[in-house]
Amino acid sequence: MNAAVKILLPFGPAQMSGAAIVSAAAVVVLCAAAALGTVLLLPGAREAAIRKIGGGVLLAAGAVLAALVARGSAADPAGPFFWIFSALAIAGAVRVVSHTVPVYSALYFLLTTLATAGLLVLLWAEFLAAALVLIYAGAILVTYVFVIMLAARVQAECDTHSREPVLASAACFALLGMLLVVIFQRPAVSRGEPAQTAADATPALALELFGNHVVAVEVAGVLLAVAVAGAVIMGRRGAPPLAPLAPATRQIIGDDNPHNIPVYGADSARRPGA
Amino acid sequence: MNPFGDLALQRYLAVGAILFVVGIIGFLTRRNLIIVFLSTELMFQGVVVNLVAFGRYHHNLGGQALAMFLLAVAAAEAAVALGLVVLLYRRRGSIDAEAWRELKG
Repeated sequence: MNAAVKILLPFGPAQMSGAAIVSAAAVVVLCAAAALGTVLLLPGAREAAIRKIGGGVLLAAGAVLAALVARGSAADPAGPFFWIFSALAIAGAVRVVSHTVPVYSALYFLLTTLATAGLLVLLWAEFLAAALVLIYAGAILVTYVFVIMLAARVQAECDTHSREPVLASAACFALLGMLLVVIFQRPAVSRGEPAQTAADATPALALELFGNHVVAVEVAGVLLAVAVAGAVIMGRRGAPPLAPLAPATRQIIGDDNPHNIPVYGADSARRPGA
Repeated sequence: MNPFGDLALQRYLAVGAILFVVGIIGFLTRRNLIIVFLSTELMFQGVVVNLVAFGRYHHNLGGQALAMFLLAVAAAEAAVALGLVVLLYRRRGSIDAEAWRELKG
């Protein structure tokens, strides 16, 4: 009962007694610094030098956080790949959000996707990592790049100016601070189950998906089909609005040129008399 | 065989939380509709890391199965969202979210 109360009340006095991996004060200070850096880094009416300073502040905050986490979790140190992949993922994510050229944002998103796939491999989710690369890097990102090529060929004002950067950064880093404070507390109860082997992760995932969740798999297929149909219907070039026809011109208008298709209409240049 | 303890779980949860929050910042501040939806994909990636880390921690595959469905939903979302972006671009000739301010009501 006591343990349950401790889990439900993470801010209880028993858990705030300096036992956290990264202390709450350090998280708050780092989040404030990172919020300041984000405000400076986001695209706006600022010079490139100021944006670089913001990026530097953000980088320093991330490095300090990584050092604190590494020091706090020295009992169970992470391998080098965790640090490499998470640094790449987070740096790529920040560049996606802060870059002013949409195509570069999409390419940094590719970097984030590949780094996340690396993290998933470290978590023994090999199939999910492969699916992430195939679906995100292979399908979703290509769609995004297509639309960017279609609609964002010139750099517009909407790429170089942010909307409410101060307010958004403050709110989001307040959220991140609370999340990190709760995450980095020492857990009240620790689980002591034996580790499973990694060799059969993919067949086990297949059994899980098609055994326990087979209806949901079918529903996901239906969802994809509906989404494709909806996208096709939305993307179809609709018929232009028709002008009302005058009674006198309700006839086939054409000329002697056999390459001209006869058209119905009022003000056609192909009308013989015009 | 490397064990996956509380400390490792906390590291991965932190990475997932940071990815998610960076995605929210992009969603709120950017005005290009394409970047806005790209930011939602960032949030999806943070959630995937979270789910898979918890699945590894608790030794079951529910997290990975849920992440598979999340991938399907992300693909559907991308298709519909980009269809909408193309539609809006045809109407206004702009992908600026501010071009549709009157939708605020």
